[in-house]
Amino acid sequence: MNTSSDRWLAYFMILPVVAAVLAFVIGPTWDVATLSLTQVVMGQERGFGTLNNFRALAADPMFALVLKNTAIWILGGTILCVMTGLAVGTFLAIDSKMTTGLRALILLPWVLPDVVTAMAWKWMLHGQVGVIGSTLQSAGLTEQQISFLGDPDLVMWTLVVVLIWRKMPLVALILCAAIRSVPNEQIEASRMDGANAFERFRFVVIPNIAFSLTAVTVISMIWITAEFALPWIMTGGGPANTSQIMSTYIYQQSFEFFSWGVASAMSVVNLVMLMVIVALYLYVNRKSWATGAAS
Amino acid sequence: MNESARPFYWAFISLCGIVIAVYVLFPIFWLFLASFKTAEELAQLPIGFWPQEATLQAYRDLFDSGSQSSQLLNWPTLISNSFIIAVTSTIIVVILGTLAGYAFARLKFPGRDLILGGLLVSRMFQGAALLLPTYRLMNSLGLQDSLLGLILLYSAFGLPFATWIIASSLREIPVELEESAMMDGASRLQAMVMVVLPLATPALITAAMWHFVGAWSEFAFASILLESSANKTVTIGLASFVELFTLEFQKVGAAATLVAMPIMVVFFFGQRYFTRGLLAGAVKG
Repeated sequence: MNTSSDRWLAYFMILPVVAAVLAFVIGPTWDVATLSLTQVVMGQERGFGTLNNFRALAADPMFALVLKNTAIWILGGTILCVMTGLAVGTFLAIDSKMTTGLRALILLPWVLPDVVTAMAWKWMLHGQVGVIGSTLQSAGLTEQQISFLGDPDLVMWTLVVVLIWRKMPLVALILCAAIRSVPNEQIEASRMDGANAFERFRFVVIPNIAFSLTAVTVISMIWITAEFALPWIMTGGGPANTSQIMSTYIYQQSFEFFSWGVASAMSVVNLVMLMVIVALYLYVNRKSWATGAAS
Repeated sequence: MNESARPFYWAFISLCGIVIAVYVLFPIFWLFLASFKTAEELAQLPIGFWPQEATLQAYRDLFDSGSQSSQLLNWPTLISNSFIIAVTSTIIVVILGTLAGYAFARLKFPGRDLILGGLLVSRMFQGAALLLPTYRLMNSLGLQDSLLGLILLYSAFGLPFATWIIASSLREIPVELEESAMMDGASRLQAMVMVVLPLATPALITAAMWHFVGAWSEFAFASILLESSANKTVTIGLASFVELFTLEFQKVGAAATLVAMPIMVVFFFGQRYFTRGLLAGAVKG
């Protein structure tokens, strides 16, 4: 085969994809980075080479709150997602007709548009006619009907619960697949050695799925960081900004307040955070990239 | 498993299974049920499960041009816009993704693995941080408030994953098949179209389904780019219904059911392909 013509054919074939990513991902990333170092007044650029946007961002009383909420959203969301995903995935790995059916069904929350998910949960959590609050109240568990999305102390964690409904299924399925590929002989051998169910799980299954578990944890962090529509539609950052996270703050500053300076500075903070997570991802996945390249 | 423990074991499995199934299905089903209730019933306490008298009025209201809810947003227009965007960008992504996927799977060129890795990593940055610069870019290109702008954007966002799915499936097709076709005088292009692509059809379907679902569901970029009501999409239409909460939730339920419908259809008919794409590639971001 003629390798030099192959090379040009290959570059020609990948050109559209590479050009698209350069134009719509790399280019905008560069643009927002330079914008964050530019003085912007009412959408007009007035001079490059200033840290004023970052100073303005740090001086915004909202900044600390947004960072705290983002930490709850990403760390709380990821940890709970992986824990529930591991529990559900372990259950789904059992051989039975029921679990086979569930493995197909469980992805449903994951494929539904997040706008639909937001509406469904906003309705169930409604302060007056929401089925969750009203059921808790009529069961005598709460005195008054709780307004989950209206209470500043509850709203962030309520959003995390909805996030888990949406993101956990995929974590569960990936971990289920990993658990099902654990060699049966190892499990049988430990059973012979007298290990109980918990010990078999802790000392045979967990070490075998450690790689999937770490990879899925980091990738969940990336998914959760990217999630915008769910919190934005459910609360719009409210009440009184108590559920404002990075993505909703960027949206609000950009398109409701038109403070492009602050918005671009926060976008850069967001990108740097993503880079750290992606670096972690590449580090965790280095083995799989190497084998992927070899194949 | 101890034989005497079997019934308990079975009961335990069933109980867990039912709990998970209810957890997954209830929010969707509850929204669906609300779309058949009346505004009066939705405001009543205690809350009833089944609609007292099921009605399709909410759906009629959505499509009735004289009624209040459709004055600003025309649902047939929203649906056709969303279909145009999702279908066109899916076609673009599958064609260009197949070209690139073939190159990554079959041809040797300097930087191949690095470029493929870079494409995959680029997916992870498609989030809120790109909202503002994308808005600026589309304005400078004159593509704001146009379906074409969103089609280009979604295609760019979807291409890396489609390329990856198709490339990894092509790698599993024996290269000898093509080589023998090329020995027999077929050009590389002919060998690719006649021999390889028919075998890669499942991967193409997987890539198409994933992209369609993503493009149909997208909200953030559509909401900043589309301004005129003639250009809006279903997700924007549904999101604007937030104002109908409490007073006319049945319309929200009806609209949400419409938005979810194409996704459910794709999901239930393409289950096999969906799970395949998922386990093959989701962990790659």
